[in-house]
Amino acid sequence: MQPFEYRTPKNLKEVQQELKQFGADAKLVAGGTALIIMMKQRLVRPTCLISLSSVRGLAGIAEKNGALRIGGSTTHREVETSSLVRRRLPLLAETYRHVATIRVRNMATVGGGLAHADPNQDPPPTLIALGASVKASSAGGSRMIPVEEFFTDYYETVLKPDEVITEVSVPRLPPNSAGAFLKFLPRTADDYATVSAAAVVTLDRSKKIFSDVRIALGSVGTTPIRAREAEAVLRGQPVKAEALRAAAEKAKQAVDPISDFRGSAAYKREMAGVFVRRALEKALEGFKRVKSAPSRQSKRRGRR
Amino acid sequence: MKLKIVGSPTERIEGPEKVGGQTLYTADIKLPSIIWGKCLRSPFSHARIVRVNTEKAKKVKGVLAVLTGADLPPFRVGLSLQDIPIVAQGKVRFVGEKVAAVAAEDLNAAEEALSLIEVDYEDLPAVFDPKKAMEPGASLVHEELPSYKGFHRPAEMIPNVFAIQNWTAGDLSSGFKEADLVLEHTFHTQLAHQAYLEPHAAVVAVDGSDRIQVWASCKAPFRLKEQLAKQLSLPKDHIRVHIVAVGGDFGGKGSLMDIPICYHLAKAAERPVKMVMTYAEELTAGDPRHPSVVRLKSGVKKDGTLVAREAEVIFNSGAYAAFKPGEIPNLGGATHATGVYRILNYAIRSYGVYTNTVPCGYYRAPGQPQVVFAVESHTDLIAKELGMDPLDLRLRNLLRDGDKLPGGRGVEKVRCRETLEAAAKKAGWKKPKAGKNIGRGIGVSFRHVGGSGEANAEISVAPDGKVTILTAVPDTGTGTHTLLQQIAAEVLTIPPSDIRAEIGDTETFETDAAPGGSKITSMSGQAVLEAAQEMRERMKTTAASLLGCNASDIKLEKGRFMTARGAKRALAFAEVARQASKENGDLRVRKIFQFKSRSPVAAFVAQIAEVEVDRETGFLTVRRIVTSHDVGTVINPLTHQGQIEGGVIQGLGYATMEEVVTESGKVVTANLGDYRIPCIQDLPPLQTVLVEDPAGPGPFAAKQIGENGIIATAAAIANALGDAIGVRISDLPLTAEKIYFALKSSRSAA
Ligand SMILES: Cc1cc2nc3c(=O)[nH]c(=O)nc-3n(C[C@H](O)[C@H](O)[C@H](O)COP(=O)(O)OP(=O)(O)OC[C@H]3O[C@@H](n4cnc5c(N)ncnc54)[C@H](O)[C@@H]3O)c2cc1C
Repeated sequence: MQPFEYRTPKNLKEVQQELKQFGADAKLVAGGTALIIMMKQRLVRPTCLISLSSVRGLAGIAEKNGALRIGGSTTHREVETSSLVRRRLPLLAETYRHVATIRVRNMATVGGGLAHADPNQDPPPTLIALGASVKASSAGGSRMIPVEEFFTDYYETVLKPDEVITEVSVPRLPPNSAGAFLKFLPRTADDYATVSAAAVVTLDRSKKIFSDVRIALGSVGTTPIRAREAEAVLRGQPVKAEALRAAAEKAKQAVDPISDFRGSAAYKREMAGVFVRRALEKALEGFKRVKSAPSRQSKRRGRR
Repeated sequence: MKLKIVGSPTERIEGPEKVGGQTLYTADIKLPSIIWGKCLRSPFSHARIVRVNTEKAKKVKGVLAVLTGADLPPFRVGLSLQDIPIVAQGKVRFVGEKVAAVAAEDLNAAEEALSLIEVDYEDLPAVFDPKKAMEPGASLVHEELPSYKGFHRPAEMIPNVFAIQNWTAGDLSSGFKEADLVLEHTFHTQLAHQAYLEPHAAVVAVDGSDRIQVWASCKAPFRLKEQLAKQLSLPKDHIRVHIVAVGGDFGGKGSLMDIPICYHLAKAAERPVKMVMTYAEELTAGDPRHPSVVRLKSGVKKDGTLVAREAEVIFNSGAYAAFKPGEIPNLGGATHATGVYRILNYAIRSYGVYTNTVPCGYYRAPGQPQVVFAVESHTDLIAKELGMDPLDLRLRNLLRDGDKLPGGRGVEKVRCRETLEAAAKKAGWKKPKAGKNIGRGIGVSFRHVGGSGEANAEISVAPDGKVTILTAVPDTGTGTHTLLQQIAAEVLTIPPSDIRAEIGDTETFETDAAPGGSKITSMSGQAVLEAAQEMRERMKTTAASLLGCNASDIKLEKGRFMTARGAKRALAFAEVARQASKENGDLRVRKIFQFKSRSPVAAFVAQIAEVEVDRETGFLTVRRIVTSHDVGTVINPLTHQGQIEGGVIQGLGYATMEEVVTESGKVVTANLGDYRIPCIQDLPPLQTVLVEDPAGPGPFAAKQIGENGIIATAAAIANALGDAIGVRISDLPLTAEKIYFALKSSRSAA
């Protein structure tokens, strides 16, 4: 790793000043879990690291107008264990729990995770299915970017060099909604997904018709992918097994995976269908249970 | 004899130091003015080196030496066949081969310099598949093979084949004639890495009068010294190898690896040099487990009696054979092609083949998990064809006392039936399974206690009664020193805490045994046992003269020398030690244990796996594993169980997920994120059964355990998978994807 300066600004304004001063040679660092590995591999060679860990007001979880506001520096572990998140959006807590190991989750931040933009990560499909947005702030002000539009390619996002992720906002779910996230780990339980699928389902009053469905997948393209055509198959349709199978078929067409050590492209495509269907089934099971905290069982490699 | 300390669970003596971070590994060695060494590695599988320009690299601030093949003597090194140059000369033979080396004040300068070395290559045709490499006209990895030191001309000259071994018995063709059924299957196994925590590391210091000091993650310091002297043409008495803890060996830490280039960098830079491989270097240029192609053809009678077997075992050695010891540098695992079975007519042929891929080495039971996977899968396929229970087929054909193994060694006190039956009982083999898509499978095999050369130990007793064992055996993480302490404590009847192990170096003894082939507890243990026994007799003499009786009337019990007859009188161990030192000075005994012959008593292992398959995804869950072991006296139940569990976990990883993936010879799983090994969540419940029979050849009638856990696990899981879904996967690892597509094609075939 090459030598670098290390800055510890105390507020966003100072962050902006540092970014301005060091320009393209600088990198923000939050948990460092992704960045440091890339620096060691010499894939990125910043001469200055601007740490976000002393910046006030960037961490924490609050509820505002029904939406969950999660600060950019909030750790994965905090999201996973927050009683507010578990109560309001157990799906989100459970998704963050699937990331890596406790050691990594204690360091990795929500903002760092999104900015890292590896399509194999777990939280993005769930955040897309939940309709979440990223708040990006720069000296010129801030803007909200839907997570769905945030990623552009491997390790690439729409963030500008002077923008900092200060918050992720997750809207309240409409009534009669439930969701599920499944991560398929055929090699070892400690791995990136071969395929991951998130589904958020809203039923009509009768609970027999899909009034809305949002489906997103990870590990099957250069970015997380929203399966809009699969959603369209279900919207307005009765809750029936054939409908789920039809949606799964559409999801297979939506993905564009590559072959790697976690599976060939052909296999991932097949599994995309299986796991979209299973995620929908699991979400629908949520209507049978009342409130539920993430159960211990649910980390069982997405088999059911 | 009732054992007190041997046989009781004893914590590791080095445990607190390891957990506390005090243990010194090679990478921790600090010397005044030490600098870093790094290697530039080939991006080509097979290419001529046309030109190397190091001018820019030499100008980097902090760089003290830059060496290429042209700067080095034309020596080739190797544990047996000396085929590997210090760094590539003339051509490179695999992606990852060293082409140049740099020594610099810090790692950054070294890496910067490496990036400035310009090498022009001219691509050569390469071979990756061992069977293709053996075809007439295949491009040769080593044109000059016959000129290498340590080369033994095989019976037949085949392209890229450096070793051929044959084992035969009976008459194969009449065996096949006798058979009611002849079946043939071919199996493939993958390249797998030992995945020890500590990557290879070396520190070499050379002083003005050419005295060489070495610290290295090498389990065989004496062989290292010997080979450095011989193969680099250095005066042997100038070389001193210090013994440092080895952070996991599993067979992979026995070679010279980076030590020769580290020596040359130290000499050129006139500074001590440290080299630590990154894990990317480990995975691309370590010495992993050989991939194999195993073809088995068997003749069997209707009643299940095996009457003939033909076996062809091809080990893909990669670009070099240097990492294999033994007169013929091939893997002993091929002798297991007849499994644990009595087959009167067989012919086994095993090849060691060069390809343009990462050179392979030893890994826990070299060659055996490969061959046992094939043999035990084949056994189940035969059972299926005959409509027999795979357990019954096995029981019908087991080895018996007095049988001869391939290679001529006899087996005695065969406990295969007991071990297998105990496993079957524990696993509830004949009981119904809990559901569809659940299967059970068996894997059976055995190992012998290894041995070669000699082992040393010195025991000394201080005037305060405290005992020191001096040994030159490195700790590779197996707890050897704790076992030596227990053995001495048993003989001297004092608490183990009164005994400590002092680790010497290559000046301590002339030579010494090294861990490997499940031999060190036996060999060093025997040396310690004999030294402790002699010490006890010596101290008895002192005690006798103090107590005024004959030494033969003295017994040592619970740390007290007592009169065996007449009025009971006793002296404490420390008291006798004090008197004895006063009279005779130093209380010190040295023993050399000479290994003479290999014992015919083997230790069997039978494993039964139960798996469940998700047919929609191919996902394989190992629900549980039963591991049944034929054991002698267990010296330390903690370390013994540790070896079993560690072996089974490695076996599970080998069976289901581990694979060093190559593309055109290039390793693409170049980090531990891509090369996955099992984590704790992947482990099924493990039930261990110990079938005890204190008849081993080791100290206190111990048998070995180091390699038994891993050898049959992949076989058991593969057979369980076959039982669960009726589809056979004949290439490891058994990934969900392979299972998924195998199920899919079996459905479309149906
Ligand atoms: C061993 C291991 C296993 C893993 N397994 C998984 C897994 O199973 N599933 C999964 O989803 N992920 C996994 N990950 C990836 C993990 O999610 C990311 O490393 C982590 O989320 C990055 O967060 P961080 O805070 O450490 O980011 P950092 O490493 O600090 O930064 C990452 C990038 O984001 C930028 N950045 C950081 N904070 C901000 C901000 N507030 N605004 C703008 N840019 C910012 C940095 O400049 C850098 O480019 C794994 C990582 C490791 C090391």
